[in-house]
Amino acid sequence: MRDRKSLIALALVAVIGVVATGSSSARTTSHRGGTLKLLANAAGGTLDPQVNYTLQYWQLYQATYDGLLAFQKAGGSAAFNVVPDLAASYKITNGGKSWVFTLRKGIKFSNGKPVTANDVVASFRRIFKVKSPTAGGFYNGIVGASKCLKTPATCTLAGGISGKGNTVTINLTAPDAEFKYKLAVPHASILPASAPPNDAGSAPIPGTGAYYFSSYDSNKLLVMKRNPYFHVWSQLAQPDGYPDQITQSFGLTVEAQVTAVENGQADWGYDFPPADRLNELGTKYAAQTHLTPLTAFWYAPMNVNIPPFTSLKARQAVNYAIDRNALIKIFGGPKLATPSCQVLPPGFPGNKPYCPYTKNPGTTWSAPDVAKAKQLVNESGQKGAKVVVISANDEVQKAVGVYLASVLNEIGFKATEKAISGNIAFTYPQNTKNHVQINVQQWYQDYPAASDFLHILFGCESFHPGSDSSINMAGFCNKPINAQMNAALKLENTNFPKANAMWAKIDRAVTDQAPMATMFTPKHLDFVSKRVGNFVFSKQFYWLVDQSWVQ
Amino acid sequence: MLRFIAHRFVSMIFVLFSISVLSFLIFFATPGVDPAARIAGRNADQQTLKAVRHDFGLDRPLPVRYGLMMKKLFITRDLTSYVNRGAKVIPQVTQAAPVTLSLVFGAAVIWVIASIAMGMLAGVFRGTAIDTTVMIVGLIGISMPVFWLGEVVNLITQSRLHGSVFSWVPPLGYVPFTHSPWGWFKALLFPWLTLSILYIGIYARVLRSAIVEAQEEDYVRTARAKGLTERRVLFRHALRTSLIGFVSLFGLDFGALVGGGALLTEVVFGLHGVGKLTFDSLQNLDLPVILATVMYAAFFVVVANAVVDLIYAWLDPRVRRA
Amino acid sequence: MSGAIVDEVLAPVGGDLAIAAASPWQLARRRLLRNRVALVMAGLLAVIVALCLCAPLYAHHVAHTDPFRSNLDGTTIANGKRVPVMVQSTQGLGLGVTPIGPTWDVHHYFLGADGQGRDVAARLLYGGRNSLLIGTSAALITCFLAVLIGVVAGFFGGLVDGVLSRLLDVVWAFPVYLLAISLSTVLIARGVSLGPLHLTSGSLLLPITIIGLVYIPYVARPIRGEVLSLRRREFVEAAIGLGASNWRLLWSDILPNVVTTAIVLFPLMLAIDMLTEAALSFLSIGVQEPKASWGSIILDGQDLLYTRPAVALAPGIAIALTVLALNVLGDGIRDALDPRAKLRRTDGE
Repeated sequence: MRDRKSLIALALVAVIGVVATGSSSARTTSHRGGTLKLLANAAGGTLDPQVNYTLQYWQLYQATYDGLLAFQKAGGSAAFNVVPDLAASYKITNGGKSWVFTLRKGIKFSNGKPVTANDVVASFRRIFKVKSPTAGGFYNGIVGASKCLKTPATCTLAGGISGKGNTVTINLTAPDAEFKYKLAVPHASILPASAPPNDAGSAPIPGTGAYYFSSYDSNKLLVMKRNPYFHVWSQLAQPDGYPDQITQSFGLTVEAQVTAVENGQADWGYDFPPADRLNELGTKYAAQTHLTPLTAFWYAPMNVNIPPFTSLKARQAVNYAIDRNALIKIFGGPKLATPSCQVLPPGFPGNKPYCPYTKNPGTTWSAPDVAKAKQLVNESGQKGAKVVVISANDEVQKAVGVYLASVLNEIGFKATEKAISGNIAFTYPQNTKNHVQINVQQWYQDYPAASDFLHILFGCESFHPGSDSSINMAGFCNKPINAQMNAALKLENTNFPKANAMWAKIDRAVTDQAPMATMFTPKHLDFVSKRVGNFVFSKQFYWLVDQSWVQ
Repeated sequence: MLRFIAHRFVSMIFVLFSISVLSFLIFFATPGVDPAARIAGRNADQQTLKAVRHDFGLDRPLPVRYGLMMKKLFITRDLTSYVNRGAKVIPQVTQAAPVTLSLVFGAAVIWVIASIAMGMLAGVFRGTAIDTTVMIVGLIGISMPVFWLGEVVNLITQSRLHGSVFSWVPPLGYVPFTHSPWGWFKALLFPWLTLSILYIGIYARVLRSAIVEAQEEDYVRTARAKGLTERRVLFRHALRTSLIGFVSLFGLDFGALVGGGALLTEVVFGLHGVGKLTFDSLQNLDLPVILATVMYAAFFVVVANAVVDLIYAWLDPRVRRA
Repeated sequence: MSGAIVDEVLAPVGGDLAIAAASPWQLARRRLLRNRVALVMAGLLAVIVALCLCAPLYAHHVAHTDPFRSNLDGTTIANGKRVPVMVQSTQGLGLGVTPIGPTWDVHHYFLGADGQGRDVAARLLYGGRNSLLIGTSAALITCFLAVLIGVVAGFFGGLVDGVLSRLLDVVWAFPVYLLAISLSTVLIARGVSLGPLHLTSGSLLLPITIIGLVYIPYVARPIRGEVLSLRRREFVEAAIGLGASNWRLLWSDILPNVVTTAIVLFPLMLAIDMLTEAALSFLSIGVQEPKASWGSIILDGQDLLYTRPAVALAPGIAIALTVLALNVLGDGIRDALDPRAKLRRTDGE
């Protein structure tokens, strides 16, 4: 049934192709030009596309770098489609283990040098040499990857990747249906073979996109200019952009960002607007405010290896007690988030609505069942246990943490809240040595596959006691469920819909085991200035900044 | 005197060294702040984590790491941030310094002028209602949390009265003097006032008590006996001696503030000075920047202390013995 | 900045020179009772402390609210009508939720609600208890340890003095916030035992210890100086000449003088400590939720500053009033005891 999906994709390609060509003529005329001014409170760290793992820059990489494949530059779910980018075409042979790419001709980097098979091979080696965060997670299936992970400096990926003329072949140790997604994220960007073999930090690396980074000062400004060597080779993979220049300046508080956009001094702020400005945005500036549901979830991992959450009943009690409607008020109200009980977000592959933790269990959440929660806490024998709720110290996450502590106190625990620096709020709870019982987290998809939620967050393979990189924060390792996950991953290669049906069952099983309390599915809010036109929101990489015009 | 200076210098170096070691140890003794996982990125492989740790020298023994970091900070001057990878630390400090200097300098002018006026007023009218009122007003200034006062100022100038009286107040942030002197002034006026309110009260009180004390002293009595007018006595004699304490106090405060002591004011008004840099690096647990800013701050505090001590020693030989 | 206050406290103010033949404490009490401004402030302080002590009474019997429980879905009565505590915007896109503002009705959200729908007035009273408790305990720790260190350093001199003085120098120049942030991170999930002290994450002992320790140099330095000069005074030297033991000297001659200084400094340290507590909580490293302190309520109010300024204004005014009262009272006590005047008479400094 894999065919049906590609058929839909083809149909979408056709439709969008028409739309895109339609607008591409306009692109060359009235709307082209100007500077799009973006704001952010702080810089997103290194500019190296093979190292950076922040939404802030992944959004910008869409217009600056290309992989062999790319997520389609389109609004809505069409953005989940993977299309050939620097590769003109590809075929999968050898039972799914060999991927053969034919490169497009005549594409140049922003330094004027042509893209060759050599650059492609070097880029894949570089993933390991620069110790990309996903080197072990996404690309360990390439033949020779395990050696590269051990000794990155001498990585050759011998037998894993080879290039000849304009053909590149990648060999995998086992078939991987999700590999196409992994080739389309920025970590698999194709860079010049001359790129430094270590994290380039704030020094920009030439790319193939419609824009290139011309300067970067992490305290002040990031500047993107038109790539003089760029021409459109695929409207779907890398369309031309409207503004001549795109800048992101750093240092303004969120409050000041909103004010600047209201006054037209800037076009958009990266950071989520503060709660006390939302009403103003929704009323006075409704036309400039764009709301889009995300494939993400806010959840509270509960460490199944530390009391009181060693007890299944205690974990379920938390799930029953959380009033998700009340919680959503902290996030700005029901227009900005939807209650949820399960792992996979709505509209995501494998999602089948399921909510056992509500007044009337079924498919959707309706109201908390505090009586049942109290009863479960009593039965668990953990009543009166001390719990510290950990969250990042920004306004919303801290408020969610405070609310959770309040709920825990209500059902019989003794809870306090501890807000920690947002910079460590993600790594700190991962390390079992830090004994974090429950914390506030959110997970935004890397690519549209159920495993990106279930297997990564609740699989035995992502639980590493004593390490700061152990993303399974609940420490949840359920052998039967994990076996099913691995079976589903295998099934994806041959039968995608059947695999998704299996993921739906796994989703249910994990939800029943409650290694987390799911809270809600957030929506994304983009507030743009009056002059910004053609707002296109890709579910994969969010607002496609270069596809909007400023004049 | 030379021996005293040498002694001061040695203890200055000792204090700076201890502070650098303490900051370093505190940071690495804190669980969860190991930067390797943050540098390696979300869900990094265990081997990647190990490789990153090795790259950044985080697997070396503590003394070696300390030595490396100090070498990068002071000798090669190419220390880079753990959070904004590739961002050099020293330029961040040198870029932030003018903002802090502008803030502190302007505030100092205001507080010195205002406190001299208030202190003299209270000193001259000692024991009257004017004295009490002036001193209470000064105390009110000392008694408000500075970040709270800053927020109240923002509430009024940026929101409540921004539509009318304060429409000329620019959005929070710093405008370089070279960019626009008038914009610089407008952007800094309220931060100056907020910061100086705290000090006006303290300095007015110091000056008042010094004047009162000086008036009791023999030489003022002599001056009076010589028939000098009250005003001349005050200006010529009392004020001059009172100012020694005043100036030394000023030296200490100015040193601390230039080093980043105005942290809360900078945070509340969105000024990217040394204090804000310190605050951000602490929030981010970015050790290289923490070390640089802490050393920078400690340097000014310690130097100001030493200078004030030297002045005292120069003026009063007894101190040299102590 | 805080050092300045202390330095200045020891600078004498020409107090009242008519010294009668009463005991110094009686004299001080008499002088203090004559200081009307100080008495008014002492009254104000007493009222604030009493109000804060009545926090549970207010919460349970007047406002009927639990200020530690989030109340995002609750309702209350304003102007005789039942209204939600957290008001959802219904205009335009319907974004944003605003807590109810001050109702000025002591039974229902007198000062309005915070971002969790909790009664700000009740939290303000509970927060005052914590702020006062932290300030007082920290000031006690500071004064006790500072007297100890100052006396030991000043009395024994030599190597002991050298080591202690350098230690004080380091603490003096060390940034408070670095210490506070790292300590509070260490203690997130587990406690740390320091001898008899057991610190855990939510514990008030954490801000108390941090604040108590960092201000030691501010008190210890003047005390050390005082002990140094006392040692050189005639009556002490005479006592040494008569073969008095060190302990007797310490007990009968040095300590009484030093304790007076500590008493004078105490209210001022308390004032500084309360401001520091507010700053630490404002940087979210002080008191932990759901507990409150005046500083943490200002932090809660910061996010609501432009829509519900009362949340941040009320605790700020409370801090300012308390600290003002303490400062005036401290001045009054200093004028009454006037330790430096005593010193000057014998030492001629």
